[in-house]
Amino acid sequence: MALKFRIKVFQISTYIKNFTIVSVVTLSFLLVFFSKSDLFIINGIKNISSSVIVPITRVISAPLNVFSNFVEEYNQFRSLKFENKILQEEIIRLKKWQTLAIQNSRENRVLKKLLNATDNNLTLVKTASLVNRNDTIYSKLINLNAGYEDKIKKNMSAINERGLIGKVIDTSAKNSRVILLTDPNLSISVKSISDEIFSLLTGNGDGKYLVSSFVKENKMPRLGDIVVTSGTAQIFPVDLLVGKVARVEKNRFFVLPFVDFENIDYVQIVISK
Amino acid sequence: MEFSKFLNSSSKLNIILMISFSISVNSFILFPNLNNAFYILFHLTFIYLIFYHYHYYLYFVALIYGILFDILLFNNIGAHLITFLSLLLLFLFLKKYLIRLSSYQIIFMYFITLIILLLIEQILANLIHNYKFNMNSLFNFFLISLIIFVPTVFLFTKLDK
Repeated sequence: MALKFRIKVFQISTYIKNFTIVSVVTLSFLLVFFSKSDLFIINGIKNISSSVIVPITRVISAPLNVFSNFVEEYNQFRSLKFENKILQEEIIRLKKWQTLAIQNSRENRVLKKLLNATDNNLTLVKTASLVNRNDTIYSKLINLNAGYEDKIKKNMSAINERGLIGKVIDTSAKNSRVILLTDPNLSISVKSISDEIFSLLTGNGDGKYLVSSFVKENKMPRLGDIVVTSGTAQIFPVDLLVGKVARVEKNRFFVLPFVDFENIDYVQIVISK
Repeated sequence: MEFSKFLNSSSKLNIILMISFSISVNSFILFPNLNNAFYILFHLTFIYLIFYHYHYYLYFVALIYGILFDILLFNNIGAHLITFLSLLLLFLFLKKYLIRLSSYQIIFMYFITLIILLLIEQILANLIHNYKFNMNSLFNFFLISLIIFVPTVFLFTKLDK
């Protein structure tokens, strides 16, 4: 009797275990299959990961973060004397430029009045600070401390004082995720300022350069040309600074972004007016 | 130290799993290899759990960490979830053969599994998520694995007593 009962319990537990394995594998298959869709469950998982998991991981990795900050501050302190000398020279140079800029600004204002032109084509949605970054292994993503409660939506552009940073790809109530320009999965339509050569740029995978994936009429820009967003894809506003042409090959060219992706503290989320 | 007495080795390994996951998904600009090292430590811990502490709850562990790794590193579910679950299923079928191996052979298998896992993740990242197959990154992973493998195994065997 006892043996029969044991066999029955063993059979039931084996059945439950097998059922668990099959259901987990099936669930995983479905999640992988629908991961690129806009399903509620997928968005829910993404929201939980950015609003719950990311803060938890930050708390757990806080000691290393403190150590990293300490090393950074020590390095900055070491280079203080040298930087001071450079800054003094720069102040002298900038004072000369300031005089020239004031003159140009006055001239610009007068010319704009004559042309009836507007000042800029951007509307600032929110300035957010960086929560954490996932740009070492595989993708180039950053998380910001503002979400759809701050009117941030998918596909909005992220910029800083140097130029275009990337695009919002996910938003939760208080967080949003931005894919950086250097990610191979982000394409941006750009044009060169001097020759107006239109092309598509994607991340090179090395996290430093952007590489052209398509060049209109196969016209290559010149070395040192400045590249800005063309606005043709209607995702990024027009004329956002992207970078400088750093290398030109037969069928493609490389662009060095203006943004220093290793030193991003604040990000502005903007849309075109 | 008294606290550690209340935890069995499986729980301790799960705590290591959680810490290594947390550090590997938070990039440190000054120490990018630190992220890579903890990323590999996560894989080592997970394989160790499968080899020495196999239990059905590991399917849920694989499911959760697989999804989280994929969402945080790719923003889409795929590569990690598939590799973690495939490893578990493969172990289920190969368990009877692995038991027959000597401890040195098991250690060798452990290292080989780690490298294959990292390689498959790179391939799947390329196929599913369109990330370039990066030989430098793989070589970097291999070097870090070589460096941290022996200390990690030593630590785990100490934890396991």
